[in-house]
Amino acid sequence: MAVPDQPSQPPLSMRISDVHVEYELFEERRAALRQRVSTRRGSGRRVIHAVKGVSFDVREGESIGIIGSNGSGKSTLLAAIAGLLTPVSGEILVNDEPQLMGVGATLIPTATGRRNIRLGCLALGMSADQLDDEIESIIEFTELGEAIDRSLRTYSSGMRARLHFAISTSISPRILLIDEALSTGDRRFREKAAARLDVLLGSAGTLLLVSHTLSDLQARCERGIWLEQGVLRADGPIDQVIEQYSADDALVIRR
Amino acid sequence: MGGQSPRRRQSGTISALDTFSNIDADDLSSLASVDDGKPEVDEAAALRPMHAFVSTGDYLTQMWDRRSFASAMPFEEIRSSHQDTLLGNAWHLLNPMLSVGVYYLVFAIFLNARGGIDNYVLWLTVGVFTFGLTSRSVLAGATAITSNVGLMRSMRFPRALLPVSAVFGRLVTFGFELAVLFVVAVLTGGGISQRIIALPLILAAHTGFNIGLALIAARLNDSYRDVQQLIPFLFRLLMYISGVMFPVRQYIDNSDAPGIVSRVVSLNPMVQILDLYRWVFLGGTVDLWHTAQFLLITALLIVFGFRFFRVKELAYGRA
Repeated sequence: MAVPDQPSQPPLSMRISDVHVEYELFEERRAALRQRVSTRRGSGRRVIHAVKGVSFDVREGESIGIIGSNGSGKSTLLAAIAGLLTPVSGEILVNDEPQLMGVGATLIPTATGRRNIRLGCLALGMSADQLDDEIESIIEFTELGEAIDRSLRTYSSGMRARLHFAISTSISPRILLIDEALSTGDRRFREKAAARLDVLLGSAGTLLLVSHTLSDLQARCERGIWLEQGVLRADGPIDQVIEQYSADDALVIRR
Repeated sequence: MGGQSPRRRQSGTISALDTFSNIDADDLSSLASVDDGKPEVDEAAALRPMHAFVSTGDYLTQMWDRRSFASAMPFEEIRSSHQDTLLGNAWHLLNPMLSVGVYYLVFAIFLNARGGIDNYVLWLTVGVFTFGLTSRSVLAGATAITSNVGLMRSMRFPRALLPVSAVFGRLVTFGFELAVLFVVAVLTGGGISQRIIALPLILAAHTGFNIGLALIAARLNDSYRDVQQLIPFLFRLLMYISGVMFPVRQYIDNSDAPGIVSRVVSLNPMVQILDLYRWVFLGGTVDLWHTAQFLLITALLIVFGFRFFRVKELAYGRA
């Protein structure tokens, strides 16, 4: 796995070692007592083995594009790296707390955008003083205008993506995990987000980017990883990995 | 040699952490056997495991680091809870005051069950407000996890912050109730004695008690949402056997019930909490043995509640 070290290689920022992730599905999402008791006997309970032994190393400054068909385990893997899911076996080592930006992030739907920024940044560990200093620039970055004082329920998915991106990048994480979160934004926001990513990642930041827009991946990432049915199918230069993935079209269509 | 020893120590720590994963440990040892002392081993040593067990001390430190979140979160809840009512946040105060009115009507006027208490209005108000603090705290704790799924799916933070901050949130509204209590004390001629200096201590212990219960309720309600339906009924029962509206101990002592019943009633920590508050506002004596019992139960509840809650730390917001 590890190639003998060359002096030019930057230090590791992440090591994923034979990670397996499972999650449970209940036929009814929120089962009442009776149902939960009966499902214990195995009727309605299904265990999804979403990630099956994935290993790779990431070095500081790398941007990795992750591709794979729907349900291939990409989002589950990112959630595990972000610490939101626990692998059943294997290990994830990091040099900093990774921040995940998922497309379905709802935060606190009843609160306004402004309140969500406050509470989100504080939940991520920002101090109250720092937040007071920075909240105006975070709000400005979202370009949400008056909508910042409206409840999140009224937001479109693109507006939510702007908000979440602003919150997640506000604490300058060294590892960013982006799960399709930029795809819902308009062109202006995507350009702005790209510029912010460039500054944030600099030379030592690490990015794992899940996207179905292959051109986005080619533009931002030099390395690609292809996941299929929870297994790592390819890991290499992004163009080669995309080529392999595209050549496997038949498989994708069948699924 | 001097430069080597810290490196050794580092690789020692990583192999200890790696006991969580056999594969990685094998991986590292095979690397070590191929090129002993090469930088590969050190590379991973600079990293930390994402899913290692977090000690209680570290967990509490993480919570403390996010204390601004814990104090900002309740205001959001308070803001949104009566958003669509005409009287808005006034309901936080109107609700307990109306309860006092209803119980006064039923127990003092219809049933004449004052049990010879001089200042029954103050006695009842203290009981309703302080009991209400516990019941509302536990209910808020129970829903703290289930109503913040969106936040938990996007961010990692110690989940115990949610029920704990929900309990603190109830303290905010209780502050206004305390103000009303002082007014009632003055208006009913009870006055305010120097016993008031014990109030912060009593409130602190009471809050600890509420946090313990809220943590337990939070985990149970995450597994079975039936819990939040049951809690109001449990507290209604508890209210009657804790002597919120009538002096429960006096009634039992005067009845034919065996002595054991009286002792069991006295074990109820809610009875002991009410005794303490009533001592502050109405005077009389406090049973130190009962107070010690209450403090012990509170300490046990906090420790147990915390452990019980943390078992499911990573499962919250998922199922």
